[in-house]
Formats: sequence, structure tokens, C-alpha cells
Amino acid sequence: MRKIICLSVLFASSAFGQLQPEPTGRIESLPASYPESWILLQDGAFFHMLNGKVIVVDAASDDSAGRVKGMFNTSFIAQFYQLKSRPEIVIAETFMSRGNRGERTDVLTIYDKTSLAPTGEIVIPPKRFSAMPTNYNLQMLDDEKIGLVYNFTPATSVTVVDMIQREYLTEIPIPGCSLVYPMAGRAFASLCTDGSMLSVQLDQDGNQASSSRTAVFFDANNDPLMEKAAMIDGIAYFPTFLGRVVPVDLTGTEPKVGEEWSLIGNEAGGWRPGGLALTATDSSGRMYVLMHPDGYEGSHKDPGVEVWVFDVKTRRRVDRIELGMPAISIGLTRGDKPMLVATNIELEIDVYDVASGEFQRTLNDTGAQTPFLLHGAL
Amino acid sequence: MKWLNGWLDRSAEFSTRGIAQRTSRRGFLGKFAGVVVGGAVTVPLLPVARSQDNPAPLEEGDPNSCEYWRYCAIDGFLCGCCGGSVNSCPPGTEMSPITWIGTCENPVDGKSYIVSYNDCCGKSSCGNCLCQRNEGDRPVYNPRVANDINWCLGTSSSIYHCSTAIVIGTALDE
Repeated sequence: MRKIICLSVLFASSAFGQLQPEPTGRIESLPASYPESWILLQDGAFFHMLNGKVIVVDAASDDSAGRVKGMFNTSFIAQFYQLKSRPEIVIAETFMSRGNRGERTDVLTIYDKTSLAPTGEIVIPPKRFSAMPTNYNLQMLDDEKIGLVYNFTPATSVTVVDMIQREYLTEIPIPGCSLVYPMAGRAFASLCTDGSMLSVQLDQDGNQASSSRTAVFFDANNDPLMEKAAMIDGIAYFPTFLGRVVPVDLTGTEPKVGEEWSLIGNEAGGWRPGGLALTATDSSGRMYVLMHPDGYEGSHKDPGVEVWVFDVKTRRRVDRIELGMPAISIGLTRGDKPMLVATNIELEIDVYDVASGEFQRTLNDTGAQTPFLLHGAL
Repeated sequence: MKWLNGWLDRSAEFSTRGIAQRTSRRGFLGKFAGVVVGGAVTVPLLPVARSQDNPAPLEEGDPNSCEYWRYCAIDGFLCGCCGGSVNSCPPGTEMSPITWIGTCENPVDGKSYIVSYNDCCGKSSCGNCLCQRNEGDRPVYNPRVANDINWCLGTSSSIYHCSTAIVIGTALDE
């Protein structure tokens, strides 16, 4: 019976022509500049941290298979940085020589955006900060010539890397302070436990040339700054647990603390900012914040049910987007007509049109299990 | 994926507060305090200096439930669901000597106890009983009270497996 079926298929094929032999070994590639509608899902792989990944997805596509464009691996809750000046993506990751045991090696891995293949690697001290990913564990300075990696042993320091020569330069202690926020030239800032900010200025060799400390300007216990700032035109907008915003101008080589304002205004209902990646920005410089009502002590990582949109210049809320399903992280696609993407509490990605606020689609079947961070593609 | 089923089961009764208090998928580690001297592990010292010797407290509740009182500031997989217990690590893992400490109120006696959330390390994610509660949690620039951090530090492997919740004394009033 099988032979008969095969013969009939062949007969039918010959009646309409037949398939030509196809070449083997074809491998797709991506454009160096990704389309505006693409996003990168940073999957921290919480249930198998040694096998994380970043997946490139077209958020505008309703084709659940075709919208996945490719992926690359990341090891042990890696940190991610998308270069603006070169078609490269940098990953700070950790390997153990025997999988879950053995000698630890930390590296910055450089991926080419077109091939999604690793094209370089810089070995760094095996002490990079191992924690839930945020955008301020790995940053670049000086037109992306200098890379900075935040370390925690729990002594805190910053690894300085030459991204052009692709070599480790030095390590700078930042006792009492954490994370790296890029500043002008070769300077960076860090948030400190005492409620101040440290700034460090590097020389041409990447060594510390000078440093300074602001006065204490926030209460790290009672209404702390959330470290997940929205960065707009070189100004870091830090939401606080209770819903204030503290802008810090990082366009110079020393931080300038600006006048604080309120996310909440006169809104009733106990609204507070909360989530994992709870802030995002669009290409026009608006700030998006994930918000939840009925806030309480400990609600600062709760899923948000709305995204509030702010014009940071006028300090006014200009829009609020009601989410169909509560979300833990948000991101924006780039361009004039951005889409809001949100990791919902089922860990799928919901897409909303920002202009109308309307839900568009859910991106499931992307291969991501715990997409902690969502990055609009460059 | 027990936690996932629990999450979905509860979706009908969703409230923002309820979800975050009882479980979360994004949760992570966190803990602090203790020292490593010359590579040798010693008993945690930092906040413990503020505690009193005390017999084991009388308590109630399910140590494998996220609602259990000791987990007021935990973030990770509960070791009791991984082959360990609330105060021991599963076979073949290594307990981190460096940790962060929460202050949780025992509903039985109304006292606040210092709870050390030592991570168990050296095997990949347990994957069972993920629990995140953020009472007193603060951002990572305040690490002694930040539960987003992997505290598999001072161990031979940095790989996180699960978290314990060890009572180490009663908290003194400020």
C-alpha cells in the first residue's frame, strides 16, 4: 500500500514538474540594523540559569513561527548591552569549567548582530555581579570604547575593559556603592548605600583619575530610589518606592541632583511603581513606568496593571495604558510609532500600540521561558 | 512546575498584592551577612551580634509553603522542596556562608526573629517551590537587605540551587 501511495505521489509530481535538489548548508543572517518593530527578549532562564538566551523577535508579526528571527546563548543570568555605534551585542556571562562546578570564568562575549555568532571574548575577573538582570550592571563609556562591569563579592568594584582592543584594563573599588551609570566622557556614577552617589573619572588608560561623592540626597531605607532608572538625554530618572521621581543629571563628569517630582500627583488609589524592569523610554524621550494600585511595604516588585507615560520635561503624565494582563517588565520598540511590549504574569509577551493604547497581540511560542528584560532593537 | 500550576490556579482570584505575596516567577535569591576569613568559613557574624541566644521557637505552618512566616523576605526556591529542609541544604550542595538576613514575626509568640536565608549552591536551579516575598527588601545598592542577589559567594561554586530560612535568634528592639 505504501509503495502505491509513493508511486502515485511521484506520478503526480511528474505531471506538475518536480522539486529540484536544494543546496545544504544554508544559514540565514540578519540585517546590521534591525527593523524598528524587532525586540530582544532577555531570557534569564531562571529554572536552568546556565542556559539563558536572548531571542530576536518581530513584535509586529502575527506569524508565530516567522516572527522569531534567531537567538544567541547566555550563561548564568547574564547581562546584556546593545551597542549603538557598532552592529554588536555584548554579554557579560559566567561559565564553570564543569557546568555547575569547577573553575569559574567570567567573560564579555561580543556577538555580531548579522550572524548572531560570537566574534570576540574578553576574560574579566570572575566576580561580576550575579543577580536578577538590570540595565546598570554592564555599561559603556566614551563612544562605547570602554566597557564597565559591576562586581560584587560582596566587596563592590567595577571592571574596566577596552572594547576596541578587546582587553581587560583594570578594576576600580567602589566601596559602599553599587552599579554603573554612564556619564560624559570616561566617567561613571554609582548609587551608594548611604543615599549618595559616587562618580569616578577615568584617565586615558582606564585607571581612576579622580572621584567625588554627592551629598546624601535620598533615604535608602524609608523611600529608596529604585535602581532601575529611565535614562533620557543623559539624565537618570529614578522612581522611588513611594512614587516620587528623582532626576540626576549625568551629562557631566559629576552627578547633579535635580528637583524631585511625583509620579502619582493627585491620583487616588494608592498607586506605586513596581515590577522587575519597571521603567522604559521611547525614541521621543518619554518615560514609561509600570504601576500598581493599593501599594504597601513590599509591593515594589509586584506586577503592574497599568503603564503610565510621562513627559519628563513638563513632569506631567501624558498617557496611561491599561494592561490586559498584569506585567512584571516592560520595553518599547524604537521609532515614531512605538509598541509597548510587556512580560505578563504568564511570562508571555503582550504587545500594545502606544498611540491608541490598544492590545495588539501576544507573542507566545518564542522559546523564552523567563523573559525578564525586553529591549527594543537597535 | 508546581509553582506555575499554583499561579494559574489562583489567576481567577488575582489581586496584585496577593500574587506578589504568595509566589512569583521572577523571584530570585538574596541574603547577607557573614564572613570568610582566609578562605575558611565561619559562622555568620554581622547582624547576629544583635541577636540573643534563644531556644528553638515554637512555631506553626508549612515550611514548604510560601506563606510560612520565616519567608517574609525570601526570594528563591524553598530547599524543603528540593531534598533539603527549611534549615538544611539538599545532598551534594554547599551552604553559602554569606547571606542576607530578614526580620520576620513568628505569629505563634508574636516575637520578631532574625532569619538567615543561606543559599545552597553547586547544583543548578532546584525548580520547585519558587517563593518571593519582599517585606523589608531594598534595592541592590543596599545589599544586606536586597533579595535580588545570588548569595552563592564564598562557596566553591557560584551556581544557585535553593534557599534556606534559618532562625538564628530573636531580634532586639532598635
